[in-house]
Amino acid sequence: MEIFQEKIYREESFQRYFEVVRTLVEFNLKIRYRGSFLGIYWSLLNPAIMTGVYTAIFGEAFIKYYNGSILRYMLAAFTGLVIIHFFTTSTSQALLSLTINGTLLNKLKLPAAAFPLAMIFSHLVQFCIGALPFLVIVTLIISKSLLNAIALLFPIIGLAMLCLGIGYIMSALYVFFRDLHYFYEIISFLMWISTPVFYPADIVPQNIQPILKLNPLSSIIESIRQIVLSAQFPDLFLIFQSVLTGSIVLIIGWLFFQILKPHYMDLI
Amino acid sequence: MESVRLENVSLFRRTKEEFSYTLKQTLFSIIEGKYKHPVKRKVLHEISFKLNEGDKLGIIGANGSGKSTLLKVITGILNPSSGTVRTRGSIAPLIELGAGFNPDLSVIDNILMYGVFLGFSRKYMRDKTEDILEFAELNDYKHAPVKSLSSGMAARLGFAIATDVHPDILILDEVLSVGDASFQEKSKKRIDLLWNSTNITILLVSHDLDFIRDSCTQAIWLDRGKIIGIGKPNQMIKNYLDSVS
Repeated sequence: MEIFQEKIYREESFQRYFEVVRTLVEFNLKIRYRGSFLGIYWSLLNPAIMTGVYTAIFGEAFIKYYNGSILRYMLAAFTGLVIIHFFTTSTSQALLSLTINGTLLNKLKLPAAAFPLAMIFSHLVQFCIGALPFLVIVTLIISKSLLNAIALLFPIIGLAMLCLGIGYIMSALYVFFRDLHYFYEIISFLMWISTPVFYPADIVPQNIQPILKLNPLSSIIESIRQIVLSAQFPDLFLIFQSVLTGSIVLIIGWLFFQILKPHYMDLI
Repeated sequence: MESVRLENVSLFRRTKEEFSYTLKQTLFSIIEGKYKHPVKRKVLHEISFKLNEGDKLGIIGANGSGKSTLLKVITGILNPSSGTVRTRGSIAPLIELGAGFNPDLSVIDNILMYGVFLGFSRKYMRDKTEDILEFAELNDYKHAPVKSLSSGMAARLGFAIATDVHPDILILDEVLSVGDASFQEKSKKRIDLLWNSTNITILLVSHDLDFIRDSCTQAIWLDRGKIIGIGKPNQMIKNYLDSVS
């Protein structure tokens, strides 16, 4: 059987894991965009429209918090919206990823964790092609510093880790609670409204502000905005905070996913 | 050479029948004090047996006796609650063909994806694509989405991919005949080829007792998760049929 040993991967090898994830990502994107490269930019439509709406409604009211510049408000809103949009779409699709592939997981020996990972990763690829170039251009224009553009990567890594951790938790729970996606909509609405996406953080009452800081997305959005919009040197503390938040959530999510594994495999 | 060995393998599973839980129902039942801890049922009882390289094992028994579950434990999809499972070499399951296809992807993409899921490298699958299309007689459809194929064509494709494999251990769960008469002839030849190669160990679950009698070297009779008998197919099938009538 020597000749076959080369062709067939050993069960749990890293290479096999990598190929499964890579194939899933490739085909996730293929199904979503059907070969049209421009399709990726379609995902920017939602944040762009929302920015327009918020600017029309709140722009005047909040302009004084943005040095009197409506453009600053728009950029702040758009940056926040792009992040939150990435968060909601990627995690809510990761939530379904285990159950949708239940038949496969029951027929073939596959690493279950590859499915939420591939879902988040395909959204990340989309983010890097769609929204990231825009953020980089704005960063370069405002800060005129390459360092800021590079620093941008760190809070985005934090964001991806955060989404992956939440994706692990939600996809495992969804196997047990098939109505979870309704509740998750409420949770993601809370995450969205409690991050200063379309309003300046300063308008929130002092005693509420600490609660809003608990939102893991806050530090990430704050860090990205600081790097993109402030024209200052990247705030290392904010960067550290967002990477740390992402790592903690990812570790918790991964442990949760592994511990629940023997239970959800019976119910998928 | 020994190729499969199970020692005292038991498996507890949560049963699906009580599984209608939604978060809403669970919360309400906790509030009303009616929440019951989920029950686990023992679906495999201290299973022990071993197979040598080249053995062909038929597993027989009534519906729900744990035959497919046993295959899942051997494949590694489910981990036993106690006991050990040891296997040597690559395992290829050929379970309900076509279940893994993505209807929106093209035939070619599905070949690659299915192959990678089975454990092959992308490169190997790309090299094999032509052969697989040829065997499944789907060359004209290679760029068509799988949802446009008839169910028979999809089954042919699944068979072609899964049997292009030359594993050390082949797991078969009721998938011996696919497609129309001419394809059945072809698929039978391929199964025979796998069957006759002396270094492939085969585990087969089937209700086709004649096939097991003719083709297997050993048989296991399972009933409610327990091994009732293990031995020559002829004898096992006779005992099994006697117990039924």
